[in-house]
Amino acid sequence: MSGNGYLLEVKDLRKWFEVRRGIFSKPLWLKAVDGVSFELRPGEAVSLVGESGSGKTTLGKTILLLHEPTDGKIIFKGEDVTHLKDKKKLMWYRRETGLVQQDPFGAMPSFMTIYRILEEPLIIHKVGDKKEREEIIYKALEEVRLTPVEDFAPKYPHMLSGGQLQRVAIARALILRPSLVVADEPVSMLDASVRVEILNLMREMQESRNITFIYITHDLSTTRYFSEWIFIMYAGHIVERGPTQRVIRNPLHPYTKALLAAIPDPDPENRKRFRDVPPGEPPSLIAPPPGCRFAPRCPVAMDKCKKEEPPEVEVEHNHFVKCWLYV
Amino acid sequence: MSEVGMEYSLKGVMRELLSYKSGVASLLILIFLIGLSIYTVTTIPPQKAIAMWRGENNMWIENPRNAAPEWIEYFVHKHLPRTIKVDSREKSFGIVKAKTPIPETNITQIHIEMSFTYDYDDFPSEVNIFFHAKYNASENAPLVRLYWVKPDGTKIPIKEFNMRDPNQILYLSVDQSIYAGITSWLMKEKHIKAAKTVTTQQILFGKLTPSLSQGKVEVEKGTYKLVVDATTYNKGDDVDLKLVVYGTVYGIAGTDHLRRPLIIALLWGTPVALAFGLTASLAISIIQLFIATISGWYAGIVDSIIQRITEIYMIIPFLPFLIMMAAFYKLDIWTILAVVIVLSIFGAGIKSTRALVMQIKEYPYVEAAKAYGASDARIITFYIIPKILPPLVPGLIGSVPGFVFLEAALSLLGLGDPYLPTWGKMINDAYNNGALYKGYYYWILEPSFMLILTALAFAMLGFALDKIVNPRLREM
Repeated sequence: MSGNGYLLEVKDLRKWFEVRRGIFSKPLWLKAVDGVSFELRPGEAVSLVGESGSGKTTLGKTILLLHEPTDGKIIFKGEDVTHLKDKKKLMWYRRETGLVQQDPFGAMPSFMTIYRILEEPLIIHKVGDKKEREEIIYKALEEVRLTPVEDFAPKYPHMLSGGQLQRVAIARALILRPSLVVADEPVSMLDASVRVEILNLMREMQESRNITFIYITHDLSTTRYFSEWIFIMYAGHIVERGPTQRVIRNPLHPYTKALLAAIPDPDPENRKRFRDVPPGEPPSLIAPPPGCRFAPRCPVAMDKCKKEEPPEVEVEHNHFVKCWLYV
Repeated sequence: MSEVGMEYSLKGVMRELLSYKSGVASLLILIFLIGLSIYTVTTIPPQKAIAMWRGENNMWIENPRNAAPEWIEYFVHKHLPRTIKVDSREKSFGIVKAKTPIPETNITQIHIEMSFTYDYDDFPSEVNIFFHAKYNASENAPLVRLYWVKPDGTKIPIKEFNMRDPNQILYLSVDQSIYAGITSWLMKEKHIKAAKTVTTQQILFGKLTPSLSQGKVEVEKGTYKLVVDATTYNKGDDVDLKLVVYGTVYGIAGTDHLRRPLIIALLWGTPVALAFGLTASLAISIIQLFIATISGWYAGIVDSIIQRITEIYMIIPFLPFLIMMAAFYKLDIWTILAVVIVLSIFGAGIKSTRALVMQIKEYPYVEAAKAYGASDARIITFYIIPKILPPLVPGLIGSVPGFVFLEAALSLLGLGDPYLPTWGKMINDAYNNGALYKGYYYWILEPSFMLILTALAFAMLGFALDKIVNPRLREM
């Protein structure tokens, strides 16, 4: 590990997708992630929050090298992993990282048993012999509380519920004992009743194994179950980041404020309260507006906002915001 | 792919297959065909089959020519003649042989009487006598006199001659001198002038009534006798003979123009057709599957190259190309199979499978596999192919008859395997010999029936499997 104590450092990371309209036309770039920087220490959990199309999933996948980064740097345990060409190093990185996806049904090969699904990563990374693998798999199923394990192991994915499958997905992501896990909206396709259960399970395992966890969500209300950090993404930028409690209690960026205001509250007192949702839609990522990307929708936008991109400012300790209001 | 998440276990598929009538029927036919193939290959090895089909050593000389199968009797309601063989060397009932040496000479008188019962409703197709004599060729050859004795005792002299060859064959039904002899006998003894259409066998086996002059003749049933009086001129000389009265029906499949039993071709056609059809279909489908998966998975330049090759292949006219190859090089069946496979691996199937692969490679489970480090080869073989294989199986099974028919079509054009007997070659022989014109329907219908049976089995199996993997086609 590097001397600064960070597990993961992301420096000015960009992921641009090439969009071609024809053979002879100039390629256009869809800037899904456009200059993102942050650091995470071992065992920290962070919630990456943003609406659809904000680039949060792309960021997560780029960190896992499922997308080739366009620019910037990813440093993991002091090693530059941005463009891993060495197969051995890439396998090491794959082993050190895990992924939990949104759709538990789609995430499982329907023709494999649960046992085989969990065995696959072990086979690929040549972990143990047949007997040791069985032990590891049964233990992993036990940890995600799919008991009795002998009943679940020979089943096929379609025989399990969404919640149970997501437990399998978590078990699969953690079976190689990674130190970094990206969970991409892991509960958004589940029934409300099992969401908290799954989140608690993830939190528990994250804490007990000291895993760095990136929890991608569009649902601010679930972040407090989970993370000590919160990053708010908008149109390919992280617009605000800081400790969860502080960001939720004292949101700085107008977009964060709007997001928090939009959280539905079951209190009947609130039923007539007007929700102040910013008008308009997120900007096009192919031709983003100059200056602050939230400016066209921002209720407090100034002239400057529409011309110059704001810098990231540390307003309080560890609480950063990318807004001209705080410069 | 709407049936994502459906599971196909062999047991489950079998159980479901047996719930369809077409599934049960196709399985029964397939079991029959496979059993027949195993029986054929184990009892008649290929070398033996080729030798039999070539008719080595005149092995079929005692078979009737163009005989119909025996079961044809059920349609014509007649007792049709089987082939009758009587051999003077065998000691059995109805054969009498007496040797009388003339004292003080080397001359021996040999008297042979061979009787047999003829109770069929039709005339034999041919009558031949095979001699097996023993004499010194440089000395005097035995003198032979042949008489034909009818059930009523009428004795017709057939021929009197000196033997020319110890294994001389007398073709009674085509020998013009014999025909002339017995018609003149008929004229002299019975005062009947036989019409030109009356054949030797009709005079030998028919009732000798005046209607012979109109060409009308009925079979006379009863015990016939061939009487041979031979005179040998040297000590140790002997004369034996075998009388073969050829029937008009033979076995369960009949014979062809070269007296070969058609059952050989029918039997051997089965393993050849199954092997050809299944190998072609399986090999083509699996190779196409891999090519399409590689094309869809790697995209970019690899994909472009494979797609352009596919498009070129799709333009090449398959059948004319194959016919040209087969005509130039006189290929055997396994080379034809290889050519068929090579000409088909970049077929149109690649396009649809590739489209499927491009869809599946975006599935979350493939992304998950990448995230835990699965290699491209592993993802293709263990993650993508198992997913696209089940929907392809019905098509694979359904394409078997196409290849079986292709082999038959090539054989029919005379471009099939030059040695192995196959169904297509049988039809080709039948066609070349004007089977339908001459009324030998069985010759064409038998191989056609086998072809259709095979096609039906695979087609029905394909449809039933299609219903299982495409639940939308399921019957209510």
